[in-house]
Amino acid sequence: MPFKSAARAIRTAVLAVLGLFWLLPVYLLLINAAKSPLTFTTTESWRPTDFSLFDNIGEAMRLSGLAEGVLSTLLYAVVSPAIAVVVGAAAGFAIVALRLRHGFAWFVAIFGGTVFPLQMILLPMFDAYSRTGLFDTRTGMVIVYTAISIPFSAFVMRNFFTGIAHNVFEAAVLDGASTWRIFARVYLPMASSALVAVFILQATFIWNDFLLGLVLSQSDTVRPIVTSLAGMQSTYGGAQMSVVLAGGLLVSLPTVVLFLFTQKFFARGLALGQY
Amino acid sequence: MTSDKILTAHASKDQFRWSARGFVAPGVLLVAVLLYVPLLWTVFISFTEYNGLGDPEWVGFANYVEMFDDPQFFNSVLNTLLWVGGTLLVPVGIGLGVALLTWNLKGGTWLRLPFLIPYAVSGIGVGVIWSFILGSGGALDQALGAFGIDDTPRWLVDAPLNTVVMILATAWQGVGVNALLFTIGLQSIPREPLEAAKMDGANGLRLFRSILWPMLRPLTAVVVGLSIVASLKTFDIVQGMTKGGPGGASETLALTMYKETFVNSDYGLGSAIAVFLTVVTLVASILYLRQQLSSKHGV
Repeated sequence: MPFKSAARAIRTAVLAVLGLFWLLPVYLLLINAAKSPLTFTTTESWRPTDFSLFDNIGEAMRLSGLAEGVLSTLLYAVVSPAIAVVVGAAAGFAIVALRLRHGFAWFVAIFGGTVFPLQMILLPMFDAYSRTGLFDTRTGMVIVYTAISIPFSAFVMRNFFTGIAHNVFEAAVLDGASTWRIFARVYLPMASSALVAVFILQATFIWNDFLLGLVLSQSDTVRPIVTSLAGMQSTYGGAQMSVVLAGGLLVSLPTVVLFLFTQKFFARGLALGQY
Repeated sequence: MTSDKILTAHASKDQFRWSARGFVAPGVLLVAVLLYVPLLWTVFISFTEYNGLGDPEWVGFANYVEMFDDPQFFNSVLNTLLWVGGTLLVPVGIGLGVALLTWNLKGGTWLRLPFLIPYAVSGIGVGVIWSFILGSGGALDQALGAFGIDDTPRWLVDAPLNTVVMILATAWQGVGVNALLFTIGLQSIPREPLEAAKMDGANGLRLFRSILWPMLRPLTAVVVGLSIVASLKTFDIVQGMTKGGPGGASETLALTMYKETFVNSDYGLGSAIAVFLTVVTLVASILYLRQQLSSKHGV
């Protein structure tokens, strides 16, 4: 059918043009982050000049202590969601497999923690952290990131466990397994794909967090790198713009790569969270 | 069944009650201590005068009165509404468009890729890139200059244009994930009614209106709900690109809350704005959940 193939060609063309348009900011970021501060100029942004990307990244890491910040951020983005998925799965296991009394009420109580904006906890957390010495510590950051990740984890894991037949649990009990063993050896392995999906979503969210880092930390070593990047932009955005852009590239690359390689998990996580 | 087996079943049921509590306890405790207690504390502080020193002093609704008297507050409400409307129109709309165009198209996965790249970039990262592009004499002005357009507006200074361009920058980031979600929705549509409609000669717009759109409705409700709730809380990208400026012209509610609390140390007023934002978010969430539930029953 000529009409059909023409329609397909038009669709492909529209998408290709729009896609190229979408890639322009990426192109501008790449070529300008690669310009040395000496050749960089704000009046000529579209033509590449030289390739000093790695020097700029090195300079960006020195300027705002991004090097230590990267390690701290990695710690937050791995440890917090890891704890949160297990804690969330444990709650889901208690509600679904162990048939916790008033389980649905507890489920709503945990999930309710995610429906209000973070603005509601900023000031008390800042106040409490200042008083308890948790302000500007890695422990403090891990704790808050874990807490905000739990409601979503519990929500997804509870929904996932609802799909597992209860006689799986009963059979394991008849085999004499303890509840802890059933959780760790039967339920967690069965849920591994959902666990990974939730972990990836939460890790990306934490890596990209700006607000909690802004309010609850101060030093370059504790501050998440996105927060440091914002500080760097306002301090060095003039003369050393190419260095700031290189910093932006460094901060953004890990989550972009992770997302592109785990799209299916990502979409699955989003879908699990919604139904 | 022997009597001792019944006995073990009984014993284990009792045992489950305690282990169930044990399994749910960490989640409940962490959420209660770190989310609910601070939440209630913010509500309390919103009725007090407090700057972090000394004790909070009860002032009743004074902070709320001050909030509704402040023209800056209304400016922030208007900007926030602009964000809600704009992010529904542009990223959700284009996302649906991309999903429909790539649907059943050879190479569709590859053609979708450019839109997915920006999705996992942080709000601040998006702000860094777009501040560079939109700065005075920046990449956009140079491109327009090449077409002979030299008299360009000050993208990040003139209000409300600055909010509009920031919404477009957010659209650049958000189209991909909406396209991905709508694609999943399209792929889950059963083949039979589609084939039947195509046999009847339905095509293009008619196919969309009669089959695709009704089938996508539950998913659309989810995407729209997520978009509204997220845009109400807009903070990162505005703080990254204009800091709410000039003179508060592009502030959103989340930004005004942050400024009053952590810059002006007016904890009471900042908390009152947080409570207002929460009430609006909850109302929006409830409306969307109801819509979602009713559409699920309806279809």
